[in-house]
Amino acid sequence: MTGWEVPIGAAIAFVGGAIATGIAQSKIGAAGAGAVAERPESGGTIIILEALPETLVILGFVVAAMIIIMVE
Amino acid sequence: MDNGYVNARIKGMYSRLLDKKALSNLILKPDISSLITALEETPYREDLERALVGKPGLYGIEEALRQNLIRTIKKISEFLQGEKSERYILIFSSRWDVHNLKTILRGKRIKVPTMQIRENLVPSGEFDESLLSELLKQSDIKSVIDLLATWEVAYATPLIQAFPEYNAHGDLFILENALDHYYYEQALSLVNGKSTEERKIREIIGTEIDLINIKSLLMMFRDHVDLQDAEPMLLDGGKIFDRKILRLLLELGSAESLVEYMDETPYRFLSDLRTTEEDTLKISAYQHLLDEYLIRQAVRLYRGDPFSVTVVIGYLWAKYTEVMNLRIIARCKNALISPEDMEAEMVYV
Repeated sequence: MTGWEVPIGAAIAFVGGAIATGIAQSKIGAAGAGAVAERPESGGTIIILEALPETLVILGFVVAAMIIIMVE
Repeated sequence: MDNGYVNARIKGMYSRLLDKKALSNLILKPDISSLITALEETPYREDLERALVGKPGLYGIEEALRQNLIRTIKKISEFLQGEKSERYILIFSSRWDVHNLKTILRGKRIKVPTMQIRENLVPSGEFDESLLSELLKQSDIKSVIDLLATWEVAYATPLIQAFPEYNAHGDLFILENALDHYYYEQALSLVNGKSTEERKIREIIGTEIDLINIKSLLMMFRDHVDLQDAEPMLLDGGKIFDRKILRLLLELGSAESLVEYMDETPYRFLSDLRTTEEDTLKISAYQHLLDEYLIRQAVRLYRGDPFSVTVVIGYLWAKYTEVMNLRIIARCKNALISPEDMEAEMVYV
């Protein structure tokens, strides 16, 4: 039997990753918009760079899922 | 402050500046028309096409370079509109106000035709084309200053204060010096904070003041200016030279002693010139060396903190240097000056 700690722990793991991804993507997005405005040919690279921080939120999701599955 | 968007655009713009190889290729062009053809393959194409419609040859190139510089400064000012960093860019754009006012005052003094004065103006600061046109319409220096006072422009105050002295001596340097004093005082007051970027901008302004003072001292020694008249002409706020040191430098009395004194300062590069030129000291050679040092120091700001506004200031200096270099190439081509002499006049960043 599990208490409220498990979903809270899972939520913290997920939210932490999501916030970090948001901060990183906002900065990359702003700089990327500037770079594409001056050099449109750099668009492909910017999309890849913009997607990289997604790994943080995916990691957060995996950790949250592991907490829920393993503790139960 | 995070300048991610602006700095990324600036980095993109910097990558389009002409490098040393491109400038060397332009130097080797045989005449003005081949220089224009080569420039049409650079980012100056649009401005050249427009300028060459009204003005052929050298004048067309100069007009295109002027318009390109104006456009660049305006573009950057728009990026930073409403941001805290805007005031730092104001320091750079206000230089052009001082430049414009000095050009108009000089033109009015020696009665140069309005069109010729206009060709040397860069409306990138507080004064736009229409305000400058109004100033150009004035008949003499007094009317220019009166109009500035009517508009309640800040530059009117130092000019009004210096005008009686100018009237008594008839030396335009008095008015120009009053503008410089005012500009540097204002510039330093905008960056009196403790942040790293303000410290760096303060340092570069301080260096510029030091270099202007060295240039003034060299000219004063050459012209045997009286010590009492000379001292008020020197600017306060230098990085190395405060008022006490400036008085000491004035008492040195000769260019040779001044250059010798520089051995103990960051400006010791001046003595290298003395040894290579073997005592055939030319003030213009020193001026070129001092300008080169300032440009190198200012452009170094571009390579500092990638998120700081100093990147923008470094870029503006690099752009200004590029325009100056292209102007030198165009004028030297027109005057049939050799590529070697041309290169000696240019500054590579």
